Amino acid sequence: MKLAGIWADYVPSLLAGMATNFEISIIALLLGLLVGIPFAALRFYGGRASVALAAIVVSLMRAAPTFVVMFFLLNVVRDVSLFGMKLTMSGVMTVAVSLVPYSAAYTADAGVDALRQWDRGSPLGALLFLPNITRAFFVIVMASGAAAAIGVPEGISVILRESALLPTLGDRLVVFAVGIVLFGVPLQIGLALMRWLQRELGRRLVGA
Amino acid sequence: MSLRIPCRLLLAFAALLATFAAARAATPDEALAALLTEARQHCDQPTDRLERILCGKPLRIGVRDYYPLFGTRENGTHVGYEPDIARAIARRLGVEIEFVRVNAATRIPMLGEDRIDLVLATMGHTTQRDGQLRFIRPHYYQSETVVVGPRALRIGDWNDVATRTICVTVGNVSNAQMVSHNARLMLFDEAGVLPDRLKDETCTLAAQDDSFFAYYFTDPSFASRFEQKFGFAQVPWGMGVARTGSDKLARALDLLSQIFHRDGTFLEIAVRNRIRTVFLEDQQRIWQRPECNTTEGSTNRNCILPALNLELAPTPFAAWVTAAEDWSERRLGIDITLPMLKTAPAFSLFLNGVVNTLILIAGALAATFAFAIVFGFSLGSDFRPVRWLAWLVTMTLQSSPIVLTLVIAAAFAHALLPYSTGVALGASILALGLTNGGNAGQAVSEAVISLHHEGGEKGMALFVHALGRSAISIVAFLINAAKGTPAASFIGAPELLGALTDVSSFSSGRATTYCLVLVFYTIVVMIVVWACGWLRTWLEGRQVSA
Repeated sequence: MKLAGIWADYVPSLLAGMATNFEISIIALLLGLLVGIPFAALRFYGGRASVALAAIVVSLMRAAPTFVVMFFLLNVVRDVSLFGMKLTMSGVMTVAVSLVPYSAAYTADAGVDALRQWDRGSPLGALLFLPNITRAFFVIVMASGAAAAIGVPEGISVILRESALLPTLGDRLVVFAVGIVLFGVPLQIGLALMRWLQRELGRRLVGA
Repeated sequence: MSLRIPCRLLLAFAALLATFAAARAATPDEALAALLTEARQHCDQPTDRLERILCGKPLRIGVRDYYPLFGTRENGTHVGYEPDIARAIARRLGVEIEFVRVNAATRIPMLGEDRIDLVLATMGHTTQRDGQLRFIRPHYYQSETVVVGPRALRIGDWNDVATRTICVTVGNVSNAQMVSHNARLMLFDEAGVLPDRLKDETCTLAAQDDSFFAYYFTDPSFASRFEQKFGFAQVPWGMGVARTGSDKLARALDLLSQIFHRDGTFLEIAVRNRIRTVFLEDQQRIWQRPECNTTEGSTNRNCILPALNLELAPTPFAAWVTAAEDWSERRLGIDITLPMLKTAPAFSLFLNGVVNTLILIAGALAATFAFAIVFGFSLGSDFRPVRWLAWLVTMTLQSSPIVLTLVIAAAFAHALLPYSTGVALGASILALGLTNGGNAGQAVSEAVISLHHEGGEKGMALFVHALGRSAISIVAFLINAAKGTPAASFIGAPELLGALTDVSSFSSGRATTYCLVLVFYTIVVMIVVWACGWLRTWLEGRQVSA
């Protein structure tokens, strides 16, 4: 396999595909925040029954495998009604929504912790919610590769498409390696950013 | 009054002569001529559709109006292989023609409701349909399912498609055959999207009727990029008439079809419409053979093709399942369909899926725990090369989305071993174990380092203590491994999600099927969460005792 071919065609396609992964992840995270924060509030401020109910729902969301939820949405709840309008979920939206149970459960857990910190008079402790959500975002980016299974043209689809045309394992490994590097760089930068945020907040917490 | 009796006698004598001539006819042409003559005698009281048509009524033919090359409508005119056959039939019978638009859902009911006399609308001849209408023999065309893919991709036969994803339409009867050859299926509702998904490279391979792809291969840009790799699941196409009141019409069409094959009429029409002619060329050779070119050729098993039998063997309890579905709908108002319990192949896929899922989850949990210990030990090692190597592997695994890690594991596995269920499960367990074990191992190593800084313990005692300290992370990644198992279906591991996707590709009841899969996996993961709670307590107990 010629490296020139990789740089000329494959890498730009992969970067374009990865943009879809980030698009999916941003939607999933925003929807997760929208669903998860009320559950966090319910678990923290609610009465015994509402706390129990919220805990059950969050446990179910935590247990639902993204891959299965994605196929469930694709085959069972493809068309949704919103204010009387029938909307058909696109592939990107289907994957994003399938990641919402994870994202919402994570937000609810991190949110409860943040509220506890806030209640204990530690706003900086509560701010640890931000690096936690950053971590969730990168987990979602990696999980969004599941979209390849339903034909959404994202990063993993590009890697698979390119590798399918190559005859030898060696050539395929080059394609896979480029994929890992391109997915890995933003992930590692993001995780480093998260660790820096945590360190900064921790330092200020100690200082406070 | 005196003249009417001789006239009637004359007509009866003519009919008798025609019947006698038909019985004596040696060739299909003579038999057809005699049959038409006889039918024309019954214009005063027609009892068969052939008599009605020959006595002035138009021949109402149900045709498709959006099936490129076979039946479309352009500026109000029906064009394509089938309308041209319809015109050839009408010409030969000397009757008027009336085209009626039908589709796959309406073509048989319209025949039963006497809104059309003949269906000529891309209809495959199956044993199930034999009970609904009378098929004309010989068949006028034969389609097959073809696998289409990029020219650059080397695909020769079934051996080359194992573990590859093929884009198909839901309900296509040939899907079961692809599943049995270990192909992964990506399902679409409409065939019309398949060429576009090939062009935008969402699908590397697509399988559909060759008559469907025939049109797209007339487009030079499509033909330059894609080709038919191989075909399978041949289905003969038949014209159909109503089972009652059409005996003579059916007989006339049987004879006409024989003649059209023998004389190359079908072939000439096919060439004119640019469709594949391999089948028609074969048929012409068959119907020119003396043993087939007879008045009884259309019933001679050596000349005609059998109907395709698509019926899947039912399970011993299929009737109970159907009764339960009916009861649920009647009493509870819940419409459930359980295709995985009704046919033997589907039930076998379902059972294997459940067993494989449990094996996969158990394997993924064991591998995650084992790799957590290995990576934890290596990352916390005092020996730098081991630590750096472990760090490099962990970073690589963290940077690879789980789906990609699964694909890489499968690529290695298939390079070393031929595809089998065991290989696919093994590769999946390895990938899930490495990814989650790597992350959990990192947590263990961080615990090892923190315990190092605190001083005191060393060696195995310190490591056991570190396992206890990182119990929360280990448990979190064990749960993650269990949750990740459905992704193994992506590389062809026949776990429940993959198995039921295969079942739903050739049967109905997708909604119930995927609801069941979701409930099954959620319950299994919750059991894993509960079991991991015990493990966490045990590990934390080791921390205290250490």
